[in-house]
Amino acid sequence: MKRGNVSLKLAALVVVLMLAVSIGAGVSAGKRTKGQGPVAAKAPSGTVTLSGWSVGATEEKLLKQVISAFERSHPRIKVTYDAIPNYDQAMLAKFSARRPPDVFYLNSEKAPTWIKQGLILPLDSYVKKSKFAVAPFYPKLMTAFRANGKTYGFPKDWNPLVLQINTAMLAKAKAKPPTTWAQLKSVAQKLRSVVPDGRPLCLAAEWQRMMAFVYQNGGSVLQGKTPTFTSPKVRQAVEFYVGLQKSGLGNSPAKLGAGWCGEALGKEKAAIAFEGGWVYPYLPENFPKIKWKFFPMVKGKQAGTLAFTAAYSMGTHSKNKEAGWELIKYLTGRTGMKLWSSKGLVLPARSDVKVKPPGPSRTPLLNAAASARAWSWPSGFDKVWTVANNELGAVFEGKQTIPAMLKKINDEAKDALD
Amino acid sequence: MASELPPIPPVIAAEELAKKGEVPPGPGPVTEGIPGREGADKIRRTITYVVLAAVSLLFFVPFFWSISTSLKTLPEAAGFDLLPADPSFRAYREAITTFNFGRYFLNSVFLASVVTGFNLFLASLGGYAFARLRFPGREVLFFLVLGTLMIPHELRLVPVFQMLSEFPVTHWNLLGSYQGYILINLVGATNLFLMRQYFLTIPKDYEEAAKLDGAGYFKTYLRVMLPLAGPALAAITILTFQGTWNDFFWPLVIFLGDETKYTLPLGINQFRSQYSTQWPELMSASILAILPIFALYVFFQRYFIAGITSAGVKG
Amino acid sequence: MATEARTERSIGSERVREALVGYAFVFLPLASFLIFFFYPLGYAFYISYFDWGPLGKIETLGLENYRDLADDELFHKALKNTLRYTAVVVPCQMALGLTLAVVVNQALRGRTFFRAAFYFPSLASSAAITAVALYILASDGLLNALIGTDKAWFAESGTALESIMGLNIWTTSGTMMLFYLAALQAIPTDVYEAAAIDGAKSWRTFWRITFPLLKPGHFFVGVVSVIGSLQVFDQAFIVSGGGGGPNYSTMTVVLYLYNQAINDVRFGYAAAVGVILFALIFTLTVVQRLVFGRMEAA
Repeated sequence: MKRGNVSLKLAALVVVLMLAVSIGAGVSAGKRTKGQGPVAAKAPSGTVTLSGWSVGATEEKLLKQVISAFERSHPRIKVTYDAIPNYDQAMLAKFSARRPPDVFYLNSEKAPTWIKQGLILPLDSYVKKSKFAVAPFYPKLMTAFRANGKTYGFPKDWNPLVLQINTAMLAKAKAKPPTTWAQLKSVAQKLRSVVPDGRPLCLAAEWQRMMAFVYQNGGSVLQGKTPTFTSPKVRQAVEFYVGLQKSGLGNSPAKLGAGWCGEALGKEKAAIAFEGGWVYPYLPENFPKIKWKFFPMVKGKQAGTLAFTAAYSMGTHSKNKEAGWELIKYLTGRTGMKLWSSKGLVLPARSDVKVKPPGPSRTPLLNAAASARAWSWPSGFDKVWTVANNELGAVFEGKQTIPAMLKKINDEAKDALD
Repeated sequence: MASELPPIPPVIAAEELAKKGEVPPGPGPVTEGIPGREGADKIRRTITYVVLAAVSLLFFVPFFWSISTSLKTLPEAAGFDLLPADPSFRAYREAITTFNFGRYFLNSVFLASVVTGFNLFLASLGGYAFARLRFPGREVLFFLVLGTLMIPHELRLVPVFQMLSEFPVTHWNLLGSYQGYILINLVGATNLFLMRQYFLTIPKDYEEAAKLDGAGYFKTYLRVMLPLAGPALAAITILTFQGTWNDFFWPLVIFLGDETKYTLPLGINQFRSQYSTQWPELMSASILAILPIFALYVFFQRYFIAGITSAGVKG
Repeated sequence: MATEARTERSIGSERVREALVGYAFVFLPLASFLIFFFYPLGYAFYISYFDWGPLGKIETLGLENYRDLADDELFHKALKNTLRYTAVVVPCQMALGLTLAVVVNQALRGRTFFRAAFYFPSLASSAAITAVALYILASDGLLNALIGTDKAWFAESGTALESIMGLNIWTTSGTMMLFYLAALQAIPTDVYEAAAIDGAKSWRTFWRITFPLLKPGHFFVGVVSVIGSLQVFDQAFIVSGGGGGPNYSTMTVVLYLYNQAINDVRFGYAAAVGVILFALIFTLTVVQRLVFGRMEAA
């Protein structure tokens, strides 16, 4: 009898111990995450957690300056900033745990999916309550963060695609900056002798670049709910862009021996690239000897280019929403936006903010506002672009034809919109 | 008490196999003593050795090459010298300090040890109960244990992801925590199965003797059965440690958002996607991930093989 | 009499105690299996009927996820890649595993050493070994230097999946060798002695006697290898940075599942992919068990 008792007790003890260990572990884990966002229900005070994807050191330093400026003007609010690697997955985990940061970056490409999932907080009531002026924001940027008549974020900045040209090479080839498709070809022809591979254009095999040419041709890949990848205007633009590569005037960055077109420009493997404001400060920091400038995007039938943007948003389950809204208001407001765009890393998303950043003239970028369209698509389109870029890669490799590619992407888009 | 007992009965198939390393070679074609075949035999034998040596070279060269590179400088790594001109541990230092692989190494050691500990205890305890204790529904429950082996872990990705991010009822957030990883790896069905099979081979006399001495079930398990189960425990230790150490899938799912929790395999993947051509550092990190398991294998070879084959053949 | 009655009663209560202790001992393992295996299994089946997100149900779809999978080209590509991978890797692993096993099973000096040498790659972490492969197969890597080419093996759609195949055949054939060794050593010695007396040549002995006798071994190794191949993920993820490129040549079923779940946040859809994978593996395992059960009974 006695031995039975002892073993029973021991068994029970073990079970209890194991449970205690697991529970203890869990509780401490729970506590830790809870500790990050103390609840301050009404008054805009306390700690606000701010998260974004990892950025370069220059940009992070600048953001910290803007944050301390905010903290000085809002002494009751403290901001904890985190740059998160593997942002999308990390955020997915936080959303899933119903513990998103109070304020975070929302990429225009991810926005529709996250909004549809109910993860993002509509800001309309806050806007109304605090009489936040929405009018100064560029409307084209705002559309990326609107759905069902609600606003889910305010653009923190933006960047269009324009031309970056190595001016020394241009002078050497005795050429002028191209402004039209025809000139782009002729200038590239002249530049062939001044680059090592004889292919002066850096052409990323990405729709996130090529789409600018589609817009210049008056094309569009989506009419309401109908994908129009196979329309003649789209096809012509694609034929032009791919033709630049096929005719030996340009090549993909990988084939030029670079990770991206900015690098190809820096390494003097290419003379012309179609990138955005983000080549600054990358180029002067990594390749200080290169002489280059921003030029307006070439025109086709019309002016057109692509813009990329991201917003500051809050989560449905964010803890400190009141203080979070104060932060968003500041960061996207006139003062914050001015400070944030003053270093020339990004362009202000508000038309009432004018800055004079260091480095080359940003006029070509700013002027693109009129013709730029934001990279923003319906929910479920992520996959379409994965397929589309893969197909474009195959077309560049000569393993796929343009009509077949467009047909395939169109089908994929139809599926996504179902 | 254990010292008085006769040697452990090596009954499970795997255990027999484990011993084969020391006993005479297994049955092969018998050629000795057949007239006229000895000369041909010698030639054949030489060829076999040459081929074997060549093949094992093929198996070793990649490791040799990565060790060599890990001791080189970056410019040197671009060349093809067999040995580094001036071997140094610079790349290891860089990897461990600058690129945080020291931290990842400790994370791996910690997780592999804790998971192994839980597996040893829970698998042996459960295995003992399934092998020895009579309780209603035992067979059904054991069938359930075996059933888990048919569930591919990829199928569990979304459910476990959601469960760990918000644990039902308790609302714990275990995603990105060591606890989350440990919890889903508390005990493996293969390990439990292995323990049960092993306990079944131990004669009941030992327990009965213990019972007469007045020992309860837990004491019998702890004092009698566990000491007898050395080889099975060793096999579980090594297999679980290796499995956890090398695991890529679950650390990727659970720890990707938190750099401080990376294990070595995850760290290697992240490093390689960021600094694709820093070969000496990448190779140092890979060696750090490979070497401990190799060492483990060299020291515990027979348990290793026993565990793998029995887990496979029987499981 | 009284003593006997007491003993009987104590036997009865002893039974109950034994059962209780039994339940207590198996409680934690079983709880962990129920919570982390069977509940997820049911959950995955359940959410595969919905558009499901991090916060739960978005829309009820019924079988639509499965219908979508039926004409999802990317999924087809992943399935095709995985099946092609399986079709190449399984026979190669088996042949190589068997050859190595037969060789190290002979009376050779240094058998232990050779066995260890062949088994070494199986021990290494998939991430580490893939990193090593990326280094050796880089366009300016050792392999190209040895054979005088400059191919970026993992970066070209014509060779990326094949390179992973080669890598995994190389790393896992050691494990297959161990399985075959176990099977070889289960063959009774007298079979060979009889063959030797008959004067059979060793090559013929192998094909006529050893190979057919290894039938259970072939079957077991085959099933293990097929199941492993259907789940290929780590190497594909690492060489393609998770994208399955170039041109989806390294997109496998599990990688697709991972991407659908984690990148595209389509939890229900990913679960449907998982259910299909489960069905495949479950069928194989059941077949394996049935055949093995019959063999053991025979």
